[in-house]
Amino acid sequence: MKKRYYIVMLRILAPVLAIVLSALISSAVILAIGKSPLQVFYTIFKFSLSRLDSIAIILYNATPLIFSGLAVSIGFRMGLFNIGVEGQYLIGAFFAALAGFAIKGLPVFVHLPLVILCGALGGMLWSFIPIYLKVKRGVHEVISTIMLNYISYSLIHYLIADVFLDRSQKLVEGLGGILTRTPKLPPSALMPKLHVFLGLFGIQLPRHVYLNWFFPLGLLMAYLIYYLLMHTPFGFEIRSVGQNPEAARTAGIKPERVYMAGFLLSGAVAGLVGLSDLLSYFGYMDLDFPRNYGFDGIAVALIGQNNPLGIVLSAILFGFLKRGAEGIQTQLNVPMDTIVILQAVMIMSIVVITKVMNDYIKRLERKESVICSSQNSSLPA
Amino acid sequence: MERAVVLKGITKRFPGIVANDGIDLEVKKGEIHAIVGENGAGKSTLMKILAGIYQPDEGEIYIFGKRERITSPGRAIELKIGMVHQHFMLVDRFTVLENIILGAEKRAGITIDEKNSRKMIEELLSLYNFSLDLDARVEEISVGQAQRVEILKVLYRGADILVLDEPTAVLAPQEVKELFVNLRRLKEEGKTIIFISHKLDEVLEIADRITVLRRGRVVGTVMPSEVTKEELARMMVGKPVFMKLEKASVPTGEVLLSVKDLVVKESTGKTVVNGVSFEIRGGEIYGIAGIEGNGQKELAEAILGLRQISSGQVTICGRNAGNLSVREIRDLGVAFIPEDRHRQGLILPMKVWENMVLGFHRKKEFLKGRSLNLKAIRKFAEKKSEEFLVMLSSIEQSIEGLSGGNQQKVILGRELSREPEVIIASQPTRGLDVGAAEFVHKELLKKREEGKAILLISADLEEVLSLSDRVGVIYNGRITAEFKPEEVTLEDIGVYMLGGEVKAGEGA
Amino acid sequence: MFLAELLASSLRMAVPILLTALGAVFTERAGVVNIGLEGMMIAGSFMGALGSYYYGPYFGLLLAMIAGLFMALIHAVNTVTFRVDQIVSGVAINILAYGGCRFLSLAIFKMATTSPRVSGLPKIDIPGLNIGFLKPLVSGVSPVIILALLLVPVSSFIINRTVFGLRLRSVGENPLAADTLGIDVFKMKYAGVLISGALAGLSGAYLALEHTGMYVEGMTQGKGFIALAAMIFGNWEPVGALWASLLFGFSEALSFRVVEGGAIPYQFIKMIPYVLTLAVLTGVVKKSTAPAADGVPYERGLK
Repeated sequence: MKKRYYIVMLRILAPVLAIVLSALISSAVILAIGKSPLQVFYTIFKFSLSRLDSIAIILYNATPLIFSGLAVSIGFRMGLFNIGVEGQYLIGAFFAALAGFAIKGLPVFVHLPLVILCGALGGMLWSFIPIYLKVKRGVHEVISTIMLNYISYSLIHYLIADVFLDRSQKLVEGLGGILTRTPKLPPSALMPKLHVFLGLFGIQLPRHVYLNWFFPLGLLMAYLIYYLLMHTPFGFEIRSVGQNPEAARTAGIKPERVYMAGFLLSGAVAGLVGLSDLLSYFGYMDLDFPRNYGFDGIAVALIGQNNPLGIVLSAILFGFLKRGAEGIQTQLNVPMDTIVILQAVMIMSIVVITKVMNDYIKRLERKESVICSSQNSSLPA
Repeated sequence: MERAVVLKGITKRFPGIVANDGIDLEVKKGEIHAIVGENGAGKSTLMKILAGIYQPDEGEIYIFGKRERITSPGRAIELKIGMVHQHFMLVDRFTVLENIILGAEKRAGITIDEKNSRKMIEELLSLYNFSLDLDARVEEISVGQAQRVEILKVLYRGADILVLDEPTAVLAPQEVKELFVNLRRLKEEGKTIIFISHKLDEVLEIADRITVLRRGRVVGTVMPSEVTKEELARMMVGKPVFMKLEKASVPTGEVLLSVKDLVVKESTGKTVVNGVSFEIRGGEIYGIAGIEGNGQKELAEAILGLRQISSGQVTICGRNAGNLSVREIRDLGVAFIPEDRHRQGLILPMKVWENMVLGFHRKKEFLKGRSLNLKAIRKFAEKKSEEFLVMLSSIEQSIEGLSGGNQQKVILGRELSREPEVIIASQPTRGLDVGAAEFVHKELLKKREEGKAILLISADLEEVLSLSDRVGVIYNGRITAEFKPEEVTLEDIGVYMLGGEVKAGEGA
Repeated sequence: MFLAELLASSLRMAVPILLTALGAVFTERAGVVNIGLEGMMIAGSFMGALGSYYYGPYFGLLLAMIAGLFMALIHAVNTVTFRVDQIVSGVAINILAYGGCRFLSLAIFKMATTSPRVSGLPKIDIPGLNIGFLKPLVSGVSPVIILALLLVPVSSFIINRTVFGLRLRSVGENPLAADTLGIDVFKMKYAGVLISGALAGLSGAYLALEHTGMYVEGMTQGKGFIALAAMIFGNWEPVGALWASLLFGFSEALSFRVVEGGAIPYQFIKMIPYVLTLAVLTGVVKKSTAPAADGVPYERGLK
C-alpha cells in the first residue's frame, strides 16, 4: 500500500525536522552572543568528522547514551517516565566499582562479567524503590525518581568520601591531600578497548581514544530490547500496558506486574550506563564521575522515538554533538552548553512535531478505513 | 407562527463521509420538534452545528429570522440556544449551584455574587416547578437530577431554544415521564425545544412535529398524529424492519455461571453490588436491565475478577472463581465484551492483529519457543477478520482507524473464537449502527444455540427483552425482580428500575 | 531563643518552596502538570541575580518573574496548544533552564556556575512585635517573605471565591464542560501555567537575592520538585501548601542544626528534604485528590 510507505516516511521525517528546527533555534542563541552560527556548525562538523579518532571518540561518547536511552525508552513503552536513570546508573557504577576493587584474584572472564552484572544489579535495586512505591502506594514515579536522584548523589558522595575512600593512594604532587576516590580496579575488572579488534581490519586508533567493547555491547542490547518488545509475550505486554493499562488488565494482564518487571529491567539497563566510563576510562569512581547521562537519555529516547535502532542513531548524534561542543568551546570560545540548549529544544520540537504528525497520520488512516467501510454508514462520531 | 430556527442546505463533511448533506429544517417557536434517525444518521452532527461546536461547510442558519453564524458555543449562548448534552457536561466536584452559574456568573467586583445567583435560580426552579438541592455536589445526585441541572444551566443563560440530545437514553421510564412534564411546562412558557432521539414511542408521545434523518439527509417532516411507529421506523431505516429477533428454542444445560449473594465494595467503602444472586445455564441468555450506575459495571467486573469480591460466591463451570485472577477466570472459559470498548476492550494505537490476540498472546498456538509466533498470529487475525466481516484495509492498520462497529467485531472475533463457556456482554451494541448491532445480536444468539451461558447487561430495554430468556432488574446494587421477558411490559420493568417494591419470593 | 531562631530559619527555608507551591496550585487546578517549575526557579535565580547586578534588586525580581513567565509560556505552548506530554515538556524546560543559565552565565559573567555578589531588597523590621522571644522572627525580614505569606490568603481567595477561580478550577476538572459553557479553556490553562511561572521565577530570585546574595548553579536543589510534593501534600489548596512548605522548611532548618552537631555524616543530612518528600508522598498520595482532568491535554472537538 502506497499510503503505508507514506506514513512510515512521515514517521522517519519527524526527528529530522526536529533536528533542523532545533538547529535554527540554537542559531538564534549563537547569534545573540555575537557569534556566527554557520561557523559554529562548520566547526562542529569539521572538528568531529575530519579524523578517524574523532569518529571513534563520537562512538565512545555515544556508548553510555545508548544504554541510557534504552533504559528510558523501556519506561516510556510502559507509559512510565523513568527520570531516575540518573541515580540508577550512579548506583550501578558504584556497585560495579565495588565488585571490581573488593574482589581480587579472579580471572578476567569471570571478574569482568561479574562486575557488569553487579552494575546491572545496582541499577535494578535503585529502580526497585520508585516502582515499589508506585505499585504499592501510588506514588508517581516522576517525583520519586527525581528525589532518588538527589539522594543517590549524596549517597555516592558519602560512600566514596567516607566509606570506600582509597587511603592507600600516594599523595599527588602539589596537592596536600589524597584524591577523593575509590581504590583502583584491577585489570581483570576492566573492559578492553576495541583497538586490537579494529587493528585486525587495519584501523589503527591512538591510545587517547577509549572506544571499548561496551559499544558493540550497546548495539547488542539495542537488538535484544527490540526483540523483547516486538517478538516476545512480555514485550507485547509492556506495549499493551503502556498504551492502555485498563484494556490490558481486562485482557488478563496484570499491569502492576508488568510495571514492576519492566521497570527493574529499565533499571538494570540503566545500571550499565556508567560502566563504559568506569571500566575503560577511569578505572575507579570519584566525585567527578560523569553526571547527566540519565537526562541525556531522555532526549536520546525521544529523538529515537523509543525505537531501539532510532536510539542507537540518536545516541550517536548526541555523541557527535558532544564532540563538536568541545570543538566550539576551544576553537570559537562559544560555550559548550550551547548543545544543552540544543538538546532541550530538540526534546520539545520532537514531541511537538510527532504529536502534530501523529494527529495527521491518524486522520489519514481514518479516512482510509471510512472509505473501505462506507457501506456501513458509520460516522467518526 | 414565528420560526425559531431555519436551516437551509446545511452540509458537513468529515474525512471520507458526508455527515450532513444539504439539510433543510424549520422549527417553529414554542414547539417541541423531534429529530429522529438511527445512529450515524447525522443528528448529533446537526445539533453540534447548532450549538457552535462544529461549523457547517455549506448552508445557512437563521435564528428567529436573522441569518447567523454560530462560530462557538459562546455564540450559541448569545443567540439563546441552549444545548443539553447526552453525556452530561457537569463538573462532578462542583455544587449544583456552581455548575449552573459557571461561565455566566453574576459578579460582585471580581468575586461571585452567590446571593443573587441563588435568588435567580430559585426563581427559575419555582417557575418551571423543578426541584433541586443547589448545594449538593453533582457527584452525589441522581441521573435524572443531573439532567435537570443541565436544563437549568441553559435556562439560567436565558435560552429560548433548548436542544436536547438523546435526553431519555439514560433515564428510566418514570424519569422520562417526569422529563416530559418538565418539557411541556417549558413549552407553555414559550420555549422552543428540539428533541433528538431514536426512540420512536417517546417521540410520538412528546413531539409536535417530527423530522426524520437518514444518512445525513432529511427524509421528511411529519406530525405524530399522521404516522404510526412502523411508518416512522421505515422512514428512518429505509426498509421495513423486523422489531422481533428470531429466537430458536434451545434446551438448557448445566449451570455454567452462578453468582450467590455477591457483594462488591468501592475502595471508599461504598457498597456497589449488594447481595446479587442468579444462575445461568448453558443455552440461556440472562439479561440485566437497569439504569446505568446501579452496579452493572461493577457486577460484570467482579465476575471477571477485575474487582475484589467482598463477600458471596462466583462459580464458573463448577469452579469457585472468587479468588482467581482475571487470567485464571478467562482460562476457565469466560469471554468479556466490555461496555467501553475504547477503554477496556481495545488498545487503540496498536494494530488490528495485535488487538485480535490481546490476552491470548500466551496461548500455545501463538508461541514459538518463548517468543511470539507472529506468522501464526497474523494468520489467525486474517482469518477472524474475514469470519467476523471486519472491514479493514489491512490487519497492519491501527485499530483506532476502524469504525465502532468494526472495532466491536474485532472484540467479538477475539473473545468468541476461543470456545468460551460463559460470555459476559456489557452494553454490546452501544453506539453501533443498526447493521453492526444486528450482527452482534446474531452472534450472541448463535452462542446461545451452541449451549453457552450468556450474561447480557444492557441499558437498552428493548435489547434486553428481545434477546434474554430471563431478565433481572438491578437497582442500587440489588436484583430487585426477575421476569421472563414475555411476562412483562416496559412499564412494569420501569417500576423496578426506579427501586419499586421487591416482588415477593424473587430477587435478593 | 533557639526555638524562635529555628522557626525564623524554617520560614526562610520554606518561602521558596511556598512561592513555587502556590504557583503549582494555580497550574494544576487548571489541569496542567508543571514539572518545569524547577527550571523556572533556576531561570528566576539567574535572571534575578543578573537584573540585580545591573539595575538593583527590584529590577532583579521583575526580571526573574519575566524569565519565569517566559519559560512558562514555552510550557503552555507545548502542553496546551500542542498538547504534548506535560512531563516531557517539563523535563525539557528544566534542561533548557540548566543549559541556558550556564550559557548566559559564561557569556555574561564569564563564569559558568556563579555570579558576582548581588544586593537584595532592604530588610524590614516589623514594628511592635520586637520583643524578646519573637525578635528573630520579626527583625531583618525579607519583604519577599511577607509577600509570600500574604500571597497565601490572596491565592486562596482567588481560587475559591472569584469568577476567575471558579473558571480556572472548572477547566482542571472538566474542560469539555467548561468549553461548552463558552469558557475559553486554553486561555484559562495559559493563565494557570503563566502564574506558576511568575511565582517560580520570584521564588528563584528570592533564593539568589534574599537568601544567598548571589546566583550559584544548582542552588534550587530540587526545590521546584519539592514544591510539587508540598502542593500535593497540601491537597491542591494554598493554605495546605503553606503548612506543607513550612514542614519542608523546618526539616531543612533542623538539618543545619544537626550538621553543627557532627554526629551524622552531612551527606545524610543533605538527603533529608528528599527523603521527607518521598515519605510525605508515600503517606499521603492515596488520600489526596487531584483535579479530575489534571495532566490530561484538552483537545477540542476531537472525538
